Amino acid sequence: MAAFTQATAPDFLSRYGLRRWTVIPATYLVAIVGCGLTIVPLLFVVVDGFRTNGDINNSPAGWPHPWVAGNYTSILTSAPFWQFLGNSVLISAVATTLTLVLGSMAALALSQYEFKGREFFYTVFVSGFLFPIGVGALPLYLLLQRLSLLDNQFGVAIPEAAFALPITMIILRPFLRAIPGELRDAAMVDGASRFRFFVQILLPLAKPALITVGLLAFVTSWNQYLLPLLVLQTSSHFTLPLGTYTFQTQYSQNDAGIMAFTALAMVPALGAFVFAQRYLVAGASGAVKG
Amino acid sequence: MRSSRALAAIALAAATATAAAACSSGGGSSSNSSTPAATGSSSPSSAAAAPSVTLTWWNNATNQPLLGVYQNAIKGFEAQHSNIIIKDVPIQNELLQDTKIPLALEGNNPPNIYQQWGGGVLGQQVTSGKVDNITADVSSWIGGISGASGWQANGQQYGVPIDLHVVGFWYRKDIFKHVGITVPTTLTQLESDDTKLRAAGYAPIAVGSKDRWPDAFWWEYFALRDCPQSTVNSAIKSESFSAACFASASTAMEAFLKTNPFQTGFLGTSSQQGAGSSAGMVASGKAVMELQGDWDPSVMEGVSTNKNLSSELGWFPFPQTPGTAGSQTAVLGGGDGFSCTGTPQQAQACAEFLQYLDSPSVQAQIVGPGASGEPVVTSESSAITLPATQTAAAYFKTAAYQELYFDTALPTKPGQNLDTAIANYFSNPNSSTAAAIANSPSTP
Amino acid sequence: MSRSTALNAGLGPAATEDTVAAGPLRRPKWRSPKLRKKTELTILLAPGLILFVGFVLIPIGIAAYYSLFNWSGYGPLNDYIGFKNYSYAFKDPAFIQSIEHTLYLTVASVAIQGPLAIAIALLLNRKFFGRTFLRTVVFAPYVLPPAVTGVMWSLILQPGGFADQLFKAFGLGGLVQLWLANVHVVLFTVFAVLTWQYLGFGIVVLLAGLQGIPTELKQAAAIDGASPWQVTRRITLPLLAPTMRIWGFITVIGSLQVFDVIWILTQGGPAGSSSTISTYMVLEGVDSTDFGFAAAIAVILFAFCFVFALIYQRYALRRDTRGALTRAVG
Repeated sequence: MAAFTQATAPDFLSRYGLRRWTVIPATYLVAIVGCGLTIVPLLFVVVDGFRTNGDINNSPAGWPHPWVAGNYTSILTSAPFWQFLGNSVLISAVATTLTLVLGSMAALALSQYEFKGREFFYTVFVSGFLFPIGVGALPLYLLLQRLSLLDNQFGVAIPEAAFALPITMIILRPFLRAIPGELRDAAMVDGASRFRFFVQILLPLAKPALITVGLLAFVTSWNQYLLPLLVLQTSSHFTLPLGTYTFQTQYSQNDAGIMAFTALAMVPALGAFVFAQRYLVAGASGAVKG
Repeated sequence: MRSSRALAAIALAAATATAAAACSSGGGSSSNSSTPAATGSSSPSSAAAAPSVTLTWWNNATNQPLLGVYQNAIKGFEAQHSNIIIKDVPIQNELLQDTKIPLALEGNNPPNIYQQWGGGVLGQQVTSGKVDNITADVSSWIGGISGASGWQANGQQYGVPIDLHVVGFWYRKDIFKHVGITVPTTLTQLESDDTKLRAAGYAPIAVGSKDRWPDAFWWEYFALRDCPQSTVNSAIKSESFSAACFASASTAMEAFLKTNPFQTGFLGTSSQQGAGSSAGMVASGKAVMELQGDWDPSVMEGVSTNKNLSSELGWFPFPQTPGTAGSQTAVLGGGDGFSCTGTPQQAQACAEFLQYLDSPSVQAQIVGPGASGEPVVTSESSAITLPATQTAAAYFKTAAYQELYFDTALPTKPGQNLDTAIANYFSNPNSSTAAAIANSPSTP
Repeated sequence: MSRSTALNAGLGPAATEDTVAAGPLRRPKWRSPKLRKKTELTILLAPGLILFVGFVLIPIGIAAYYSLFNWSGYGPLNDYIGFKNYSYAFKDPAFIQSIEHTLYLTVASVAIQGPLAIAIALLLNRKFFGRTFLRTVVFAPYVLPPAVTGVMWSLILQPGGFADQLFKAFGLGGLVQLWLANVHVVLFTVFAVLTWQYLGFGIVVLLAGLQGIPTELKQAAAIDGASPWQVTRRITLPLLAPTMRIWGFITVIGSLQVFDVIWILTQGGPAGSSSTISTYMVLEGVDSTDFGFAAAIAVILFAFCFVFALIYQRYALRRDTRGALTRAVG
C-alpha cells in the first residue's frame, strides 16, 4: 500500500511520506494549543472556586493559597442551590421538549409539503430570531401577567420554547429538505402512511440535527436569566442563573462564590452534552445506499 | 424508534413533574392581597380585629448583615402590629434597580414596599401613578429624619430614607505612615502626596472608571467646589451645566488628571466588582486612596485577606480648593430608602413600617457592625463601628450641605448621559470633551 | 388510492383539481387527499406558529409600537413623537460608532471563526482516543453563561493578570497591552473573548453536519487514489457547505446582537470604544429608562438583521434546496 500511494499519490505531502511529519504533528500541536486556550480559562473558574476573594484580589492569577473548600461545600449544602437546580432542570426539560416537538412538527410542515405561503411562514419564524429579546421584555411581562403565568415555571418554559423556535427552524428545515424524495416514495410503496414515514424514517434520519437543536435549546434555556428574572417572584422558584446573582450585592461581588457556583451549575449542561454526543456520532449514512 | 420513545418518556416525566410543581407553586406565589376579613388571631393589645394587610417588600439586602437586620426588623414590627404581615423579597441590586422595579411599576401588581434611591428617578417613577403619596402618613415623624427632602417630588413625600451615604476619600493609614505623608486638606497637598506615593511604587489613587459613575464623583466634587449651591441646584433642575463655573471645574479636573494620579489601566477597572476592582486595589495595598461612598469599606473587606483592614482605613473629605466660588465643605452623597405602592390602607401600613425602620434601635442595627452608611436619625451615629466611617459621619454633620449624586438627582436619562460624558472626558481630557459635559443631560 | 395520485397530491393546486376517483367507489369529500394534506399541515404547523406568534411576535410588535413614543417606561404612553427616536439615533455619533464596531465584530466572526471551526471540526471528526473528552472540552465554553465568561476574562485580562503573566512567560512581554483599558485594543480583546465563547458552538454544529456525509463517498474517493486533502476539498467541504451556510447565518445574527459578554467586560467602554448596537441600546435606552428609544434601536437592529436575512436567504440558503430535493413529499 505504501508503495502504491508513494508512486501515484497526487499531492506533495503524500508522495514523500511527509504527511507523518508535517500534517499530523501540526494537527496535534493545534489540538494542544486549542485545548489549552479552551481549558485554562475553564480551569480558572473551577480553581477560583477554591479560593477566597481576598486571595483572588491579591494575586489574580495564582493558585489557591490556601485551598478553601468552603465555597463549594456551602453551596452544595444549601437547600436553595438544589431548589435552583431542580427548577432549572424542570424548566429546561420542558422547554427543550416543547421546542423539539413543536419545532420538528413545524419543520416537517415547512419542508415536506408544498403550499403557497410556505416561504412566508418560514420567514416569519426566522424573523423572530432577528429581534433582541431584551426589549421585548416589558410587553412579554405584561402578557404573562395577563395570562397569570407569572411566578410559574411554565411561564418561563413556554416563552423559552417560543424563542428557541427560530433557530430550531433554521437548522432543522434544511436538514429535512435535504433528505431525498426517493425515500418517501419507497416508503409509500411499502404502504406507510405519511405520519409513519415522518416518525419512523424521516426524524430518525435527522437525528444529528435534532440532537443539535435539542442541545442548543437546553443550553440556552439553562443559561437563560432574563425570562426567569421577569417571571419568577418567589426565590424557591428561581433557576440557577438567578442564583448566581445572589453572589452580587449592591456594593460588591463574591467572585469566588460565583466561580464555585458556576462550576457546579455547568455540570448538568455539560452532562447533557456528553449524553447527546453518543447520538450525534451515530450517523445518517447508509440510508440512501444503492 | 428509540428517539421517539425517549422523547415520549421525557415528555411524560416533564409533564408529571410540572403537574406536581404547579400544584405546589400555586400556594407559594407572592401576592399583594389586602383581605378585609378579620383574622381570628388578633393580639390582646388591639381591641377590635383590624383588617389584615400583607405587604411585599422588595429590597437589595441579599446578603448579611443587612439581610438579618431586615428579617429581625420584620419580626419586631409584626410583633407590634399583629394585623400586618411583611414578606421579605431580597433581589440583587442591579436587577432590582434596572429591571424589576421599572417592570413592576408598569404592571398591575407592583410591590408594596420597594427600594428607592430618591431624586429625579423618584420623580420619574411618580409619573407612573403607582407610587403612593405618603406625606400625610409620615407627617408626624418625618421632621426628625435627615435627608428626607431627597425623597420628595413636587414637595410631597413619596418615599422615606433609611440610611444616608457620603462620598469621600478612603485611604490606607499604614501606607501613609510608611511613606511619611499626612492627610491632605487642599488639592495641592493631595497632588504632592500623590507624587510621593508614586515614587514609593504605589498607585496613589484608584478609580473604577469602567462604571462611569466613579468618574462622575470626581467631576461633581470639582463642580461643588467651583460652583455655589444655587448654581448647582438650578443646573440640575434645568438639566444643563452650561454655567461658566462648570467649565472651570472641568479645567481644574483636567489639570488634576494631568498629574497622573490614578492606577495603570484605570479606564478598564471596575469600582466594586470583586477582585481587581478599584476597591480591591486599596484593599490589597496596590493603591492607597479612593474617592468613594461609605460602602467602600464593606466592599474592601469582602476582597481582603487582611484582618486588620478596618483599623488601617481612614477617611478624609474632598480636599479644599481655596479661592473658588463653591462651598469648601459641601459633600456629595445619597442614601437608601423605600417607597410605597398599593391601596391607602397598604400605604399606611407601609409608612408605619418605614417609621419602624427609622426608629433608633433599628437604625443602630442598620449602620452597625458590618454595615455601611450613616443613620437618618443622627443620634444613632454612635452605633457605627468602623472608625473611618465614624470620621465620615462626624464630618457629615458639619458639612455645609449635602448634594445628591447628580445622576440620581437628575432623571435617569439625563443622569446617565452626564455620567457617560464625564467618562468620555476622563478617557480623553480636552476642551471639546469638557464642553460636551455641559449639555450632555439634555442630549436625547 | 393509487401511488401516482398520492405522489401528485402535493404538487400545487393546478394538478389536483379532480382528486375524487370517478366510478362506483366515490370517496367522501373529507377524505380527499387535498383536505387531508391541509389538515396534516395545520396540525403540524399550527401549535408552533401560535406559540411563536403569541410569545415572540406580539411582544416584538408591541415593542416596535413603543418606539414611536417618548416613553420612560413609567406611566401611560402619551408622548407620540413618530420617528424622532430613529432620527435622534442616527444623528448620534455614539450610535454610528456602535454600528461600525458591530459590523467589524460580525465580519471578523465569520471570517476568522469560520475556517477555524471547520478545521477543528474536521480534526475532531475522526475516531481517536479521547475524542469525546475533547469534544466536551471544545463545547464547554459555550455552556458557560456569558455573564460569567465576562467576569472570568475580566480577571484574566487585568493589568498584571494571568494573560500578561502568560505572555511574559513565553517571552512575549513586549506584546502586553492594557487589554481592557486601551481604547485601540479593547475591541480586539472583546473579539478574542467572543471567539473563545462561541467557537465551540460552531464546531458542534459543523460536526453534526459532518455526520451527514456518507463515509462511503470518502472511502470510494480514497480508493480511487485521492489524497486526504483532496477528499476534504472535493467531497467533504462541498457537502458541508449547507451546514456552513446555516452556521454563517446564525453567527452573523448572533454577532449583530451580541451583548452579555461585552457588557460585563467593558460596558461598551472605555468611552464607547467597544460599544455595539446592543450595548448602546442598553446604555442609552434601558438603563436610561428611555424605553421608546431602546425600542427604536431594537427595531433598527432588527431591520439590519432582516435585510441581511432576506439577502442571505435569497442567495445563499436557496442553493441548498435547489436540486437537493427532487420532489415534494406531501
